[in-house]
Amino acid sequence: MKKITVSGLKYRYPLTEELALKGLSFEIEKGEFIGIIGQNLSGKSTLCQALMGLVPHFYKGGYGGSVWVDGLEVGKAEIHEIAQKVGLVFQNPFTQVSGSKMTVFEELAFGLENLGVAREDMAPRIEHAMELLGIGRFRDRNPFDLSGGQMQRMAIASVIAMEPEIIVLDEPTSQLDPQGAEDVFQAIEALSRRGMTVIMAEHKIEKIARYSDRVLLLHQGEMVAFDTPQQVFSRDDLERYGVVPPVFAQVCKGMGIRNPATGLYPMTLDEACDQVVNWHE
Amino acid sequence: MKALSLYQDRGTVVHRVDSRSKLLYILSAILIPAVLPGFMPGLAMLALSILILATGKVFGKVLPLVGFSLLILASIVLIQGLFYSGNKQLLFSLWRFGFYREGLLFSGGICLRVMNILCAVSILVLTTRPSDLIESLVRLGLSPHLGYVLSSVLQIIPQMTATMETITDAQRSRGMETEGTLLVRMKAFLPLIGPVVMNSLVSTRERSLALEVRAFSARSKKTFLNPPQGGTANTVIPLVLLLAMAAAIVWRVMQ
Ligand SMILES: Nc1ncnc2c1ncn2[C@@H]1O[C@H](COP(=O)(O)OP(=O)(O)OP(=O)(O)O)[C@@H](O)[C@H]1O
Ligand SMILES: [Mg+2]
Repeated sequence: MKKITVSGLKYRYPLTEELALKGLSFEIEKGEFIGIIGQNLSGKSTLCQALMGLVPHFYKGGYGGSVWVDGLEVGKAEIHEIAQKVGLVFQNPFTQVSGSKMTVFEELAFGLENLGVAREDMAPRIEHAMELLGIGRFRDRNPFDLSGGQMQRMAIASVIAMEPEIIVLDEPTSQLDPQGAEDVFQAIEALSRRGMTVIMAEHKIEKIARYSDRVLLLHQGEMVAFDTPQQVFSRDDLERYGVVPPVFAQVCKGMGIRNPATGLYPMTLDEACDQVVNWHE
Repeated sequence: MKALSLYQDRGTVVHRVDSRSKLLYILSAILIPAVLPGFMPGLAMLALSILILATGKVFGKVLPLVGFSLLILASIVLIQGLFYSGNKQLLFSLWRFGFYREGLLFSGGICLRVMNILCAVSILVLTTRPSDLIESLVRLGLSPHLGYVLSSVLQIIPQMTATMETITDAQRSRGMETEGTLLVRMKAFLPLIGPVVMNSLVSTRERSLALEVRAFSARSKKTFLNPPQGGTANTVIPLVLLLAMAAAIVWRVMQ
């Protein structure tokens, strides 16, 4: 089942000349884990926000083409309608705290209150979200007293409590320390395993190679590739797009180790290990 | 976390009374002594407020506020006692200054009124979580957007101060002089304020994006996580206060 259908999506920010998105078309299936990569200013954040409707509704500007999520046309719907289907998590955990709530539990209720969810339904949804993200023990803490990683997991949980079917994450770990980042990745992986459609823009190529089903490579607002990590990271022209392939792919490329079945370079440690063992035999 | 609020979490009965009752109490503490003649109603009200503050275990927190306002009130007593236009009956004189009965009574009334308001407001401010207070105002019809602004300001301002401190530390560790003469500090201030302003502008946009994601601009009727504070006390207290105010007004009109 197609969860997201983007066709001919073009977008230009107000007061700018150049298009930030130059006619993107692709489809995403339910339950897929999609990685969005590309060098700085290639349009990753803009694409993420277009899936949620912040582009164009929040920024205005020039918009063309269409984005359908779960039967809703983003360009014509309102952000709060889309918010029930798509959740968006930003880089900075700090600015995602609403700032009007005194405890983590209440913070998670913020979106539900806005949607007008009945009081009886709130607690189970919040409990469930807290459990998925492993933040139950912070329920009575002040949101601002959490560490970066905890705060980011709270931001994800706040979105999950709204029960979207798709979650879009824009570099969710770029401001976290390694441990905080790892916690967040594990939490997202768990969501993905539960069948949630995950779309993540990320510079950490190793993680993308490991977790994504497919990788979307953007360059100056255009889609260069949309394929499995093996296919995308085995391309010879990655350097031109400012993308450094995962370290295992680089090493295997240097040594000429390919997966004989596909002719592609291994992407992860496990895959590389298998190939090296085979190669020696 | 430092929060911009005087709330004291002591978990007493007074804390459990809802903010609507406390708001009504403030109104009564102003209205009843104003309507009824003489000092007695004001003194009684003040005694009641002090009793409530003590029950809420926050009396100690009021003293600095009282101390500060006494400074101002003392000057009012002094000036009115000496120069009140209705002064006739000399009470006593200090050195060459005569203090008059009318002026002292008049300023005494002002002091009593100020103390009453101060204590009644303190009950609300010291024993109610700011977010509960604002939530009940929203329930009473305050716009949810304004409610959000009020409650977030209380938390976000201390956060901005913290950002300012972090940036100051960063600049100082890079060798910038941030202490010393006024000129030195002025010079340090400009490059310091740049990142702070940029930082807060960027985070304001990010926060408004994040609020949109949480359906903040949904036009449907909002709901509340916390049930409205019900219970007999929270219906009886407003009722008693309203009756007391009505009785005071009726009595005054009948006179
Ligand atoms: N608010 C804005 N107003 C105007 N132009 C913008 C705005 N945000 C982004 N752009 C422009 O849109 C283009 C794409 O930017 P975008 O932020 O989507 O890139 P990105 O891939 O997310 O970059 P990064 O890796 O740095 O996060 C850039 O040319 C950028 O200058
Ligand atoms: Mg970005």
